[in-house]
Amino acid sequence: MAAFDYAPVIVLLPFLSFLVAIGTAIFARGKNVLPKGGALPGIVAMAGALLLSIWMFVTVEAQGAYDQTLYTWASGPGEGTFTLTFGVLVDQLSAMMLVIVTLVSLLVHVFSLGYMNDEDETGLPRYYAGLGLFSASMLGFVVADNLLMAFMFFELVGLCSWLLIGFWFREPGPPSAAKKAFLVTRFGDYFFLIGVVAVFATFGTSQFSPIGGMEAFPVLAEEALTGSAEGINTFGFDAATWFNIVGLLVLGGVVGKSAQFPLHTWLPDAMEGPTPVSALIHAATMVAAGVFLVARMYGFYALIPTTLAIIAFIGGFTALFAATMGVVKREIKQVLAYSTISQYGYMMLALGGGGYVAATFHLMTHAFFKALLFLGAGSVIIAMHHNENMWDMGGLKERMPVTYYTFLSGSLALAGIFPFAGFWSKDEVLYETLVHGLGGSPLLLAAYAMGLLAVFFTGFYTFRMVLLTFHGEPRSETARNPHGVRWNVKGPLVVLGVLAATAGFANLVPVEKLTGANVDFLHDWLYHGPETLNGEHYSTLLHDVAGYTAADFSVLISAAVSLGMALAGVGLAWMLYNDPSPEEHTAKLGAVKDLWYHNYYQDEFQVWLAETGGLGIARGSDKFDQGVVDGVVNGVSSVSLFSGSRVKRVQTGVVSNYAALLTLGVVVLMVALGLYGGWFL
Amino acid sequence: MIIEILIAFTLVAALATFFAPDRVSGKLAFALSLVPVVGSLYMWSLFDASGNALLQGSQVAFETNMPWISLGGYEIAWHVGLDGISLPLFVLTTVLTSLAIVSAWTPIDTRASQFYGLMLFMEASLLGVFSALDFFAWFVFWEAVLVPMYFLIGVWGGPRRKYAAIKFFVYTNVASLAMFIGFMALVFALGDSVTSLGLPEIAQATRAGEVGSYFGLGAGAIKTVAFAAMFVGFGVKVPIAPFHTWLPDAHVEAPTPVSVMLAGVLLKMGTYALLRFNFTMLPDVAAQYAIIIAVFAVVSVIYGAFLALAQQDLKRIVAYSSVSSMGYVILGLVAYTLYGVGGATFQMVAHGLISGLMFMTVGVIYNTTHTRMVGDMSGLADRMPVTVGILVAAAFGYMGLPLMAGFAAEFFIFVGSFGSQTLPFAPLFTALAMFGIVVVAGYLLFAMQRTLFGPFRLETDYTVGPAPLHDKLPIAVLLLLVIALGVAPELFWGMILDAVEPVLETGGGA
Amino acid sequence: MVPAQWYLLLAAAVFCIGVFGVLTRSNALMFLMSVELMLNAANINFVAFSLQWGNVTGQTFGLFTMAIAAAEVAIGIGIILVLYRNFRDTDVTSATTMRW
Repeated sequence: MAAFDYAPVIVLLPFLSFLVAIGTAIFARGKNVLPKGGALPGIVAMAGALLLSIWMFVTVEAQGAYDQTLYTWASGPGEGTFTLTFGVLVDQLSAMMLVIVTLVSLLVHVFSLGYMNDEDETGLPRYYAGLGLFSASMLGFVVADNLLMAFMFFELVGLCSWLLIGFWFREPGPPSAAKKAFLVTRFGDYFFLIGVVAVFATFGTSQFSPIGGMEAFPVLAEEALTGSAEGINTFGFDAATWFNIVGLLVLGGVVGKSAQFPLHTWLPDAMEGPTPVSALIHAATMVAAGVFLVARMYGFYALIPTTLAIIAFIGGFTALFAATMGVVKREIKQVLAYSTISQYGYMMLALGGGGYVAATFHLMTHAFFKALLFLGAGSVIIAMHHNENMWDMGGLKERMPVTYYTFLSGSLALAGIFPFAGFWSKDEVLYETLVHGLGGSPLLLAAYAMGLLAVFFTGFYTFRMVLLTFHGEPRSETARNPHGVRWNVKGPLVVLGVLAATAGFANLVPVEKLTGANVDFLHDWLYHGPETLNGEHYSTLLHDVAGYTAADFSVLISAAVSLGMALAGVGLAWMLYNDPSPEEHTAKLGAVKDLWYHNYYQDEFQVWLAETGGLGIARGSDKFDQGVVDGVVNGVSSVSLFSGSRVKRVQTGVVSNYAALLTLGVVVLMVALGLYGGWFL
Repeated sequence: MIIEILIAFTLVAALATFFAPDRVSGKLAFALSLVPVVGSLYMWSLFDASGNALLQGSQVAFETNMPWISLGGYEIAWHVGLDGISLPLFVLTTVLTSLAIVSAWTPIDTRASQFYGLMLFMEASLLGVFSALDFFAWFVFWEAVLVPMYFLIGVWGGPRRKYAAIKFFVYTNVASLAMFIGFMALVFALGDSVTSLGLPEIAQATRAGEVGSYFGLGAGAIKTVAFAAMFVGFGVKVPIAPFHTWLPDAHVEAPTPVSVMLAGVLLKMGTYALLRFNFTMLPDVAAQYAIIIAVFAVVSVIYGAFLALAQQDLKRIVAYSSVSSMGYVILGLVAYTLYGVGGATFQMVAHGLISGLMFMTVGVIYNTTHTRMVGDMSGLADRMPVTVGILVAAAFGYMGLPLMAGFAAEFFIFVGSFGSQTLPFAPLFTALAMFGIVVVAGYLLFAMQRTLFGPFRLETDYTVGPAPLHDKLPIAVLLLLVIALGVAPELFWGMILDAVEPVLETGGGA
Repeated sequence: MVPAQWYLLLAAAVFCIGVFGVLTRSNALMFLMSVELMLNAANINFVAFSLQWGNVTGQTFGLFTMAIAAAEVAIGIGIILVLYRNFRDTDVTSATTMRW
């Protein structure tokens, strides 16, 4: 197991680069100590982590998964206590995710050389420190072998997003966006934390898979539902009901981080951060964390069909909801932001629809093509001198061919056009949902319908973006003379461009169905995990416990329908915008356009909620506190103050008066004593 | 003996500093305060106690038990010692005092020697509070803490210092009176079954069901009355809403190092005493009124957090958030589970470090900007990056960022209280209280965004540059401690659990 | 031997004169003298009871009282001097600055 001994190093390497960069930022500020402002340690660390991840991947293939407790964070001495540990779980799922995260992060580091260093940004060590910590947190989250550790790194990911979105802190926008991102995801994490606590209170453990005497909560839950569990506290509820509650609580964190409705509002604002950071957040780290979490504990979710249906419905709804908003945006990054929300909706749809492999597959392909699209957008933004408005672009095709062709590859993947990566994964997502929906779940069918409709919108907004940006005539001076980009921008684009075109071949389910050739590699890969953490086990659970049945339906029809929808969207975009000087066709939508452009007034609603709700309560409490609570305190003290102010009049300052009072007092005392002693009676 | 030596040394050091020239007093006080730090850490490394100091079967560390005074049928002893609950607080006191003294170097420029003398005197009293195991000595130390605090706020404080100091002193002193009456009622109700004012003897007697009737009240009534009186008495110190209004005034007026001590250690006296007295001696009453106490806890958490959200003064924000954080301690205590009570104890230490850190960092900013109002400044990150970096880290620590001390404490408390058997509707109360983590993130992020980020702007006429090294060092050290405790809660966690466990064994007559 | 009652009557008379002086006079010196009278009334009682019981404790206390009275006079005169210096008067009712 020598290879796996290096698993923690994958997390530690980027952390080390964080320490180096932050150390430089603190102790050698303004002095150019690190070459490239800290990028080199980061690149070296990420390259090392990537190599190690690939090694892990190969080793998992050869030797199977690895789960090891490394560090006892807080031990429990006996009965009724919990052993809270940090452990590393490298199985098929996490090994795959490790490779994705390290690869994307490495490319983002390289790209940053072009986006940040070449643009003479200040505070580069801080930037690279943030990237390092971000990668380290995400990697820690990926290898976490229990829910508590996952939660911890989940939160650290949130912190890093705050740091990086607010990188340009001297301007007013980014800090505000960073705050919003953290707060909204925090609201989700609130439910997640309750969920974690509930998992501990229910099962006494939060391990994902059984290890060294510690049981795993998905296994315990399964036993509870199949009627052979002991020592599980369901707080007076029926076990299935309680598990649904717990599952939904944990889902709160997922909805927040993966930007699902209604907690998606932070993500478009997060575009205020540097573009490479957006690429990292959207493709491989923060937003992916939510979906990955559900996949990680799918053994638990596969037991509770109600929650699954809710997940699917949220996913399908978000996919459609976000896609419509993407149709009318003017900034290139805004379009991409809404496409991210929409795509993660697909992954949720797949997870809820019983398509564990499909979701993972889409997670992977999306990581590549979305990173590509963001980096491509970054390249465009460099060229356009940080103008992001697509209506000022146009005609960039001839002026930056590398960016154009790679971006096109990513766009085809995003739109789901055959044979690019997105086609395969999105098709599988829809297919899985469809067959399980036909197997007897109308809610899933509704979710499927929304997902299918969203395909059309996706095709439309993607190619609207491509056409507006690269085709036609340049619509501004900068578009006529764009700023050049160097190898450090083009390199990552080419790598990802190739991947976006080809990553789909990892899982050619329709081809296998058609030809019988064994080409669903990812499927096989995920079906060979540890005993309780593999796809086969999950599908058994889905079938036996959750009662999911798959109807027999041709994968070809499903694929043809979704491809047709996508092509319709692309075609419509082509018709409307393939023009040397296109006009704003979306304006014809009238009120609908306004509604979409203003994000269904979701932001206004949430801000209103925060301001009148949160701040209103706060101001009310403050008035109450100052007036009533402290008023009572001051009232009590004013009683003594008042009586003091009256009684003090006795103190006249005239000595004779005091003497008289003294004498009087003595006389009164004597008379009283006399009365008491019975002298005068 | 080492406890006495440390207390005595600190008293002598206080005296020496008091009469030292102002010029050297800060450095002298710091040098002298290092001795208790080293001493307490040495004690931590030697620590071999087991069990709870108040209950049977315990092995108390560094114990001294000498007969002292005989008073009205009660033997009063000089009895000090530490167990797993008090040692962490003991260490917290010494470390925080040392750092607070360094943080005073910049802001304290008048009567410096008196200031540092009083600080050390307060440290000695605090060490006494956390180590005394006899009620007489404990009460003397308890009251002795108030005196230096009164002067520290009243002499070196802000514009409304007199109001704040008197409010603090009177409010907490009235509370002490209530507590004293309650405790004495309990002692008298125990009748002949106790012959001393030793806390272990009283605790064991009450837990064994020896409480009789007194003053015409039955045992149950007397226990309830004693519990209520002590709960209010200690609750003011904690402070539990609605007894908290002295706290923001005291914090706003107090100079930075005093705020650090007030939030970092003085508040913990209240929760420490609640644990030692109410929840160790009268667990059955606590269980009986669990819902009411939990309501107090949840109200403290949520109401305190919303109050913090409405504030404009950075110190007021942190002050109200202390109310909120201390509410978690109460929740942990009332849950009465191993993780609840243990987490509450851990939270005392964690919150001591984090709130101390917050106040110190806000103080460093105040030293250069001379304002604490959120609306008066923005973009400070541009001018004092390291300080702002630490403030950001501290704020995230306050929000309960994992791998920092606050998260560990809050997680322990939540896990403990969620599955509590004692508290009805425990999951509901826990979930409600946990909403505090959202509000805390709200007000800290709002305040940070407005003061630290955006374009630089300052309403006061001062040049803002990087803070001096001796301002930055203590906050850096504290930050490292917070992280260390968050990464390795085992530093204290094991001993805390060990001392908490006997409390929960409600064997005997209780 | 003269019975103790007579001494007590004398002491009571002296004391009452002192009280009367304190209540009616406003001159600080007269005040002081009246206080001295009251002290000495107490002294008489001490000595009288000492004689009555054949015990020297009372006389010892008498001596102490005298010493204290002497010290008190010293302070009293000092106060009166300061009073005069500040108010140009020895009238105790004119110095009323030490009130609420």
